[in-house]
Amino acid sequence: MTVFVCGREPEDIFCGIYDAWMSRLGHDHVRLEFEGCDRELFCEYRQVETTAEKAGKVTDSIRKKISQEVYEASYKAALSREKDRADKLYRFLVYAFWAGNRVMDMLQIPAVNEVFSMNRHLNRELDHMLGFTRFSQTKEGVLFSEIAPENDLVVLMASHFADRMPMENWMIYDCKRNKAAVHRAGGGWGIVRAEKSQWQTRLHKEKEEEMFERLWKTFHQTIAIKERENEACQKNHLPLRYRSYMTEWNR
Amino acid sequence: MLIQEAMDIQEKLKILSDAAKYDVACTSSGVSRNGKKNGLGNTYASGICHSFSADGRCISLLKILFTNQCIYDCKYCINRRSNDVVRTAFTPEEVCTLTMEFYRRNYIEGLFLSSGILYSPDYTMNLLYHTLYRLRNVCGFNGYIHVKAIPGADPELLRQVGFLADRMSTNLELPTAEGLRRLAPGKTREKILQPMRLVQRGIVQQDQMRLEYGKSSFSGTRGVAGGEAGNAAKAETGKRSFVPAGQSTQMIVGATPESDYQMIRVAEALYRNYDLKRVFYSAFVRVNDDSSLPALPGGPPLLREHRLYQADWLLRFYGFQAEELLSEDRPNFNVLLDPKCDWALRHLELFPVEINRADYKTLLRVPGLGVKSARRILAARRSARLDFGDLKKLGVVLKRAVYFITCSGKTMYPFQIEENYIAAQLVGEERRKAWEIEYHESFRQLSLFEDNRIWAPVTREDAAAVITGSL
Ligand code: SF4
Repeated sequence: MTVFVCGREPEDIFCGIYDAWMSRLGHDHVRLEFEGCDRELFCEYRQVETTAEKAGKVTDSIRKKISQEVYEASYKAALSREKDRADKLYRFLVYAFWAGNRVMDMLQIPAVNEVFSMNRHLNRELDHMLGFTRFSQTKEGVLFSEIAPENDLVVLMASHFADRMPMENWMIYDCKRNKAAVHRAGGGWGIVRAEKSQWQTRLHKEKEEEMFERLWKTFHQTIAIKERENEACQKNHLPLRYRSYMTEWNR
Repeated sequence: MLIQEAMDIQEKLKILSDAAKYDVACTSSGVSRNGKKNGLGNTYASGICHSFSADGRCISLLKILFTNQCIYDCKYCINRRSNDVVRTAFTPEEVCTLTMEFYRRNYIEGLFLSSGILYSPDYTMNLLYHTLYRLRNVCGFNGYIHVKAIPGADPELLRQVGFLADRMSTNLELPTAEGLRRLAPGKTREKILQPMRLVQRGIVQQDQMRLEYGKSSFSGTRGVAGGEAGNAAKAETGKRSFVPAGQSTQMIVGATPESDYQMIRVAEALYRNYDLKRVFYSAFVRVNDDSSLPALPGGPPLLREHRLYQADWLLRFYGFQAEELLSEDRPNFNVLLDPKCDWALRHLELFPVEINRADYKTLLRVPGLGVKSARRILAARRSARLDFGDLKKLGVVLKRAVYFITCSGKTMYPFQIEENYIAAQLVGEERRKAWEIEYHESFRQLSLFEDNRIWAPVTREDAAAVITGSL
């Protein structure tokens, strides 16, 4: 068995897939792992180098030879919280290149099902996050948001908010992964690596901000119908783990 | 009556959201629109939930009244003329500020603006028009707007508002003319249906115009209003699409003695004759102490509301007709069984259904199989013969379905296809759910809705709304 050791970002994973595939050792004789995993005897370890070219080759051929749909599912799988996502994506692609876009319907195949489940979990969380994420206005003119999603969602969220708020400066900071999407009013956005201390000292809440937070909390309370109160149902839809980042729960 | 306009915005928001909360619609669904270069906002066809209130309902829109002042005296309404409550009104600027600032912070998906009737329908509709005009054209708001069409307002005014809004609604509130006469003096069915008809005509006209411009504007995945044809039609009709997310209405459940059968017949007629996108059902909450209103010692009829939503779902997505579900002789839903199970038990001669052969329509009629499960089965069986293990892998929930299906001619385990036996199995599970709804306990998912969308994002809003009855 030859193990290809790669980084955790989607580009790293796609490069890992490239190297493993192009090694021509056969799909059953290769495995993908992340840096820092336990090493086994009797395995050969090869370090994967990440280059834009290799990653591009893999994503292009998924797009052109299979479909955009499979590409999106693959990309999301690479952003999944699943620890073994690199190898699982590899197994999925083996099927996908064989079956074509039909693979999306072959949920009864375990390798497909794995990636499907990863997608489902990610999509569900993304859907939550797009609604539950809160921004606050800073004196520096930036709308600031802090998140801690289980899957690596910041890229997907950034493209959502870039379409939604093109004329705002905003920043979405993933405090689990220490990276942020930063968007400039009227311009584009990008991902930056940033420790919390780097922005914390530079951003300050706008004075007016408290007024809007109070208004929102008021609304959040009055809009409930007392006769229908149902805390369990509320908790079901809005699990506690999201609440520490939401304005209406910060009393 | 004194309207307090000088009140601070915090206080106003409290009063005017409190007064708006009995309108159950809070969805931001039905239209996809990309962001605009110099504006703020976009919309998603499936809608987005931004929070959940203490009653477990999804919060998607800033739901407020423009004013809680009203010249009418509807018996069930907290804002009725004869109630002694503090009256206030927003200014258009205040509504705009709240909407824009809430939206920027991602608190909301848009605005739901309703209102009591201040002076006259025209006067009120005009206020709403000016507010929306400002929000769209001065503030550059491009997010979701749901606005009330006020019965009796000038048709031209309604038309103008329709070009600023995404969705419009007129609440029927009571399903029969008799109910309206008793509880909503001053309103008649004709009066309520008139704006609905106007909006419907506006939408139809716009669609025809689009067709004339050739290319269908419905081809893109995002943007019912998108595409060149849409743009051409928009240019013709004043830039924006007319009520692109369609219309909805609401009926109160349990304020008057109408049966479930009457309710779903009315809903069916509204879907057919007025092209409504949604009919909402709102369990009656007794906010006024009035002898003409029923006393509800057990609280609002939540289980009944839930059954109506389930049935409504069957009418819209599962190809059922009201007459198949209920009749004059059996006018109300079974407390212990959801409407689809109930129907299936009365039609055991049609079951079991073979998973590897049955067509889409037939699969949809199986209890426990939803739209997505059925589609997934059709897709998967093209490449393989499916057994029960495969169904599980596809995410099909078998709990109820197992009594109604076979895989390659076999049921999952041997049992007698006999009404009493199956009913007993189904009721056990359903009884727990029903009890939980009645007693405000948690229940995870509505039966008809168990399977989530496959690769695409799950629409939380819809899933949530079905359960809480606020779809
Ligand atoms: S018209 Fe009737 S239902 Fe509407 S606000 Fe006035 S009293 Fe209430």
